Amino acid sequence: MKEWSKFLFLIGAFLVFSLAPMDAPVVTQSLSAGLSLLQEYARRHVLTCLVPAFFIAGTIAVYVKKNAVIRLLGPTTKKYIAYPVASVSGGILAVCSCTILPLFASIYKRGAGIGPAVAFLFTGPAINVTAILLTGSVLGWDFAISRLAAAMVISVVAGLIMAFLFREHDERNSANGFATGLEDDLPYSGLTVTLFFILQLGVLIFFALSVSLVVKAILIIGSIAAILGIVFLRFRREHNLEWMRETWNLTKKILPYLFVGIFIAGIMEVAIPKEFITGLVGQNTFVANIVASLFGAFMYFATLTEVPIIQKLMALGMGRGPALTLFLTGNALSLPSMIVLFKLMGTKQASIYILSIVILSAFAGLLFGAFV
Amino acid sequence: MTIRVLGPGCMNCKTLERRTREALEQMNFQANVEKIEDLDRIVSYGIMRTPGLVIDEKVVWQGGVPSVEKIKEFISAQRGEAGAA
Repeated sequence: MKEWSKFLFLIGAFLVFSLAPMDAPVVTQSLSAGLSLLQEYARRHVLTCLVPAFFIAGTIAVYVKKNAVIRLLGPTTKKYIAYPVASVSGGILAVCSCTILPLFASIYKRGAGIGPAVAFLFTGPAINVTAILLTGSVLGWDFAISRLAAAMVISVVAGLIMAFLFREHDERNSANGFATGLEDDLPYSGLTVTLFFILQLGVLIFFALSVSLVVKAILIIGSIAAILGIVFLRFRREHNLEWMRETWNLTKKILPYLFVGIFIAGIMEVAIPKEFITGLVGQNTFVANIVASLFGAFMYFATLTEVPIIQKLMALGMGRGPALTLFLTGNALSLPSMIVLFKLMGTKQASIYILSIVILSAFAGLLFGAFV
Repeated sequence: MTIRVLGPGCMNCKTLERRTREALEQMNFQANVEKIEDLDRIVSYGIMRTPGLVIDEKVVWQGGVPSVEKIKEFISAQRGEAGAA
């Protein structure tokens, strides 16, 4: 099967290159639009946003004590603690997207139950730190914060809906050894790690600050010096190496796809007729938000690529409401992930989960478009 | 001895598998290294965070990539236990 798809891919590439009218204005314009968007990102977002963001994500992966958080998602935890924890923990526990499903399965089968598990499942991909930071850098911080807040609220509401409809599921869970034997052995105080984290966030924020160049340089160099101070004086060599490795792994995993996504987004701006987008999702209506929601649910966006694509859809006339909706369902759901969910949860639960995410996201976008 | 690396196939899981083989090589010790990618089986070991390392059905590590040195310690500890039993 895999060899077949490679073969078909090659045939497709061959047909495109041999038949496409490469000199036609629409082709040359699209390609150059793709390249100029790549340049925009390279100049304005790579050094000032993406690089610090990858280091921050690496920090979360290595230095945040995650097991204490996981224990809060166990079957004996009070619901009013488990839900909020699940709704934010996606951002700190799921630095690597492939950790989401095992953890979801554990919380679902043996932990706090279906509600918190669903909340975690939704926010895991939706409130990824790097994605929020890039959204802020490209589209503005009102967008980034709304994306974050809406994702958290939706995750809890969707969790509560699932927990209410499938009450009988949770009664089978008991406290048999959930998350036992998980130990954090980081010898650093919470204060040091928090400071380390804030300093890195500081670098990213200082880059975006509109102050004079001298002040900016002093702030940034000061923060970097402090970061290096912590690295060399406080942290152990093995942990620093691990931090570098995590950061580099994330970069390797995300950047190539992001560049392809940016290029495609640039092409889209020329290739898709403006009237098509404005007609479909130009106004902040319920229908427009549902269309955006469904599109995001089926479409697969590699991590971060949703940012340039939504940026260009907005340039083509997509309304702010539908844009936020697309952010919400874009990462959290995709056709491949839906297939896995059906296998894992069964048809009934999976379809209700997907349906509630699609509808709740559309409402969040509607509210955002109307009020923010 | 059977060593299982648990993880659905992301970068960290592959690193752990590589380091495990490296540790065995450095110790000059033969063992079965098996990679488990099936989610149900991973969860059945009680693993919360991948990747996980299981030696002779006992979970010795999860939620990150331990150093080669650390993996060597796990292996010798398990060997000691097996010898004593």
